[in-house]
Amino acid sequence: MEPITLVIILVCIIIGGMFGSLGVHLLPVGGAPAAMSTATGIATGCVMLMTGSAMTGLFTASTVANFWGTNPDVFLVSLSGGVGAMLMMGFTMLIGNLIYIFGAGIVPVSGRVAVDPITKEPQTEYKTPRTDGHGVPNVAFYSGMIGGLVGGFGGALIYVVLVSQGYAGFSVETAVIVALGIFIANAIMAAYNIGGTIEGFHDPKFKERIVTGLTCAFIVSLMCGILVLIAIETGALAAGGMV
Amino acid sequence: MAEEETKGEEEKKPKEEFKLSFDYFNETRLGILALIVGVIITIAAYSPSLPALVKGIGVMLVILWGADSVRKTARYGLGTGVPSIGVLAVGFGLVGAMTGMAIGSAVYDMIGPAGILGILIGIGLMAVIGYVSGILANGDKFINMKIPGLERGMMELAVAGTLAIILECSIIGGTWDADTILRQPVLGTVPPVAFVALMFIMAGFGMLQPLNSCLGADERRGRTLLMAIEIGGINCIILGLITVMTLGAVQGASLIVLGAIVWVVFYRAYVKACLEESYEVVGTGMIKTLGG
Repeated sequence: MEPITLVIILVCIIIGGMFGSLGVHLLPVGGAPAAMSTATGIATGCVMLMTGSAMTGLFTASTVANFWGTNPDVFLVSLSGGVGAMLMMGFTMLIGNLIYIFGAGIVPVSGRVAVDPITKEPQTEYKTPRTDGHGVPNVAFYSGMIGGLVGGFGGALIYVVLVSQGYAGFSVETAVIVALGIFIANAIMAAYNIGGTIEGFHDPKFKERIVTGLTCAFIVSLMCGILVLIAIETGALAAGGMV
Repeated sequence: MAEEETKGEEEKKPKEEFKLSFDYFNETRLGILALIVGVIITIAAYSPSLPALVKGIGVMLVILWGADSVRKTARYGLGTGVPSIGVLAVGFGLVGAMTGMAIGSAVYDMIGPAGILGILIGIGLMAVIGYVSGILANGDKFINMKIPGLERGMMELAVAGTLAIILECSIIGGTWDADTILRQPVLGTVPPVAFVALMFIMAGFGMLQPLNSCLGADERRGRTLLMAIEIGGINCIILGLITVMTLGAVQGASLIVLGAIVWVVFYRAYVKACLEESYEVVGTGMIKTLGG
């Protein structure tokens, strides 16, 4: 394969991995405290949220990629993956909020900022003392939607570059597996970087840690990308048989 | 009467040392054993004539090693839950297995039978990536998780995940030759790689579930690892059911029998160990209390 194609594939894998890591940092992750409505966010870990939404993104992306046959449009397929992941995150947060509001009877409120940076709604007055916020407030919802879009875009970018005959030319299954493997590695490094809970881009933690997270994502994606390039060069993974 | 009871309890105490403890196979010895046996079985698994039974034993050993590594790294608390590190292992494993199988098959086509050793390149590269991720996660300049031995743990997990995925692929496809795994239809028009989501979560469960369910103040290594072997048995049963459909009843049935025996024996042993080591057991009648 031509060196320029290999470089494009490597760059796309790195961008996809870094987008995945950025997406994880943007999600409102509440962890175990959120299950008792004592922290803002969805009551599960980063990995579960991001893997779930990225899987949905990959389903959407692979469906959309079928419209083109063998040579899909990279940007549109990646974007459709982003939209799929964004919808999944949106539904998760909406249903989570319904349960929080009508089931647990709490007001969605952010624990990290006094005033919502987007809607300018006051937050501190509605926060129960000794808790760290509840539910998914407006700003966290926006942040989660952006996170889903960015993360899904990243995962689908890796997928489409691997599946397209113009680039790596893997079969659909192989491309999904490799994309998922790289994505999960990045999502988990990002989860370790966050270390528990995060609300979204308005959280002070986000500014503190995003640089470290993206650096780690860069290194991990670079290494996984080199491994994938070696696999591509052997030609054994191509969809059409041994080259 | 009361004296007798206390006496009986005192005599019972030494019995807490369950006979299937892993005292001899400490973390290092178990790792070396699983690595050597796992790699040998993985290389031999290229040959379709190697029975699925042997590969099943290899998978169980590798999962046991992975569960031990998860226990080693996750018992200090990761902040994101134990499942994350098990999923990380199989996530790395997917990339490593695909690369390893591709390199192994390509080198085999070039230089003949000795080329199957090419799979070691994929496994070795994955070990390097695992180690570097460990440095990233533990290093002062990066995430700084401050977990002792995280570098080694992540390296072991990456290798264990890779070996587990390759072995599971070779059980379903008969061999890990990339052409067979990716393209040869084994079930209708479906190639073995289509089952990879199942393999992913089964291997992942085997590694993450033991510590995830046993974790606590009086968690004991021997008891935790019993559950890892038990999940390895369940893994073999499910892989066996698929193998019956793909490779035929002879390969599949032996794997199912192996899995069923391992599952029953180690489930029994695990429940027994739990009952013996707990302060008091109040049965709900859901699980029949074994032997008492």
